[in-house]
Amino acid sequence: MSSLKKIFPVNKKDFIHAGEASIYVKNLLKSLQIDPKIIRRASICGYEGEMNVIMHGGEGSLFLEINPDKVTLDISDNGPGIENIELAMKQGYSTASERYRELGFGAGMGLPNMKNNSDEFAIESEKGKGTRVQMVFYTGGGGHAG
Amino acid sequence: MQGDTKHLSPYVYFDERLCIGCYHSVRVCPTRAIRIRNQKPLHFHEHCIGCGECIRVCPTGAMRAVTSELTALEKDHISVALVSPVLYSQFPGIMPEDVLNALRRMGFQHAADMSYFLEMFQCAADEFIARNRISHQAPWPLISPVCPVVVRLIAFQYPSLLPHILPIMRPVALMAREVIRRIIARYGVTKEAITLYYINPCPTKMSPERLTFHHEQPCIDKVLGINDVYPELFGLLEKMQKGDRPDLPPDQFSYGVTGHSLIWGMSGGEIAGMKSERTLAVSGLKETIAYLEKIEMGLFQDLDYIEFRTCPEGCVGGTLTGIDKYLSKNFIQKAMLNMGLKKRVCQDEILCLYDEGGFQAKSSLAKLAQRFAAQKKPLSIRELSEIDNILEKIKGTDCSACGAPDCKTFAEDLVRGKASMEDCLFMKKAQ
Repeated sequence: MSSLKKIFPVNKKDFIHAGEASIYVKNLLKSLQIDPKIIRRASICGYEGEMNVIMHGGEGSLFLEINPDKVTLDISDNGPGIENIELAMKQGYSTASERYRELGFGAGMGLPNMKNNSDEFAIESEKGKGTRVQMVFYTGGGGHAG
Repeated sequence: MQGDTKHLSPYVYFDERLCIGCYHSVRVCPTRAIRIRNQKPLHFHEHCIGCGECIRVCPTGAMRAVTSELTALEKDHISVALVSPVLYSQFPGIMPEDVLNALRRMGFQHAADMSYFLEMFQCAADEFIARNRISHQAPWPLISPVCPVVVRLIAFQYPSLLPHILPIMRPVALMAREVIRRIIARYGVTKEAITLYYINPCPTKMSPERLTFHHEQPCIDKVLGINDVYPELFGLLEKMQKGDRPDLPPDQFSYGVTGHSLIWGMSGGEIAGMKSERTLAVSGLKETIAYLEKIEMGLFQDLDYIEFRTCPEGCVGGTLTGIDKYLSKNFIQKAMLNMGLKKRVCQDEILCLYDEGGFQAKSSLAKLAQRFAAQKKPLSIRELSEIDNILEKIKGTDCSACGAPDCKTFAEDLVRGKASMEDCLFMKKAQ
């Protein structure tokens, strides 16, 4: 079974390059011509994940694995971690500062959005060590798996 | 067309005698439709979206826009010039009415100004946004249908955004429809006796059948670049400045130029005066692409409407203009101070027409998107890995010496069997 693995660095406060990894992933998925709806879901999740690292996290990365039947996104950072995951998963809960909100971020939709748009979602975090979010999107093995 | 020239696409033709096989056009093409092979360009013309970037950067003039030729105006036809507001900005210090009169001296029976229809379009767009905010029928943000390169770029690269395109007829189509209606009523002729010329700065609008993507019939018959008429108009306007003003009766098909019309030539001109404040104006090809990528990832849903123009600074930066875009902008800004931004359309009439379906665009963009998609062969996961491996090996600098715009495209060509490893200078050096 063939698979493609790629890793993209994502750095804190790097707003200039925000979204570049997700755009790259989106275009890779497009060249495979998998279902546009799945591409949309995966790129929304990738972007939310990237933004979380950029706003809250430390140094981090977005890891992508494409298999014939699924796409996996694994976003991790060595930032401050999440104190209360249950709370962080609530819609509208946000620890983003006023400044971020003025930029249009920090609506408290990031993690819930990622959960809603992925087929499998897992989050682990340790205070002071960092956060890791894993998401899986099933592509049904259609398109050009080869 | 002469022996050494050929149409590359519906929008661009190429003169081989002038070509020096450089990489300028290869690098700027947004759909990566050009390669250099044996010092000559190879075109994947089915990928051309008519943005005109290759025409803009070609140092020898080998790349040209396909335009209708400005032959003698047919005497037995009623010829009407439909004037893009950008034309006025090409003649700083000259009143727009004089430009229209000069066109009539050139031989057009009528020269019609577009301002009124730009207002109509804006009014209909406002209405669509307001109703849609209640009904939630269309996705946000809506995208302006005005720039034809943008809509074609969406059909080519971002088909998932097609539902975002505002389904309102473009101003030029509203104009063509009304002018034809009035001429038929006035002269008692049939549509066949009328020839509509659209004078504009953009190669992508050049062939009339290409204009119909977001239009209803009837539409334009012939399309001219501003640079096609610029020299003759310039001469005539100079004469008029010197006092050689023949008495032309006022043209009843002219609707009167307003500042509203002039500002449309600039980026931001379309959204100026819209009711919604949640609008954005983006100009430039790279900038447009960056935004489309993000809209595709679900961003900017809090915005109502985005005006995109792929030419820098808007249509004043078009490929087929007569003078520099910054000079045009300067003139527009000066003229606006005098003319103001008043609106004339009667909102009730527009709403009536709107409810009758008078603005509904019959889009053929979905078909175009399907045509584009049919030409793209998918890559497999293994092929994508191979591309990565090749890139790892080359460690290139996107030098384009192989004839591809960048290393990634070269690697993809290689995997698809359209290029050979020997084309790469880096690999040659390594051996």
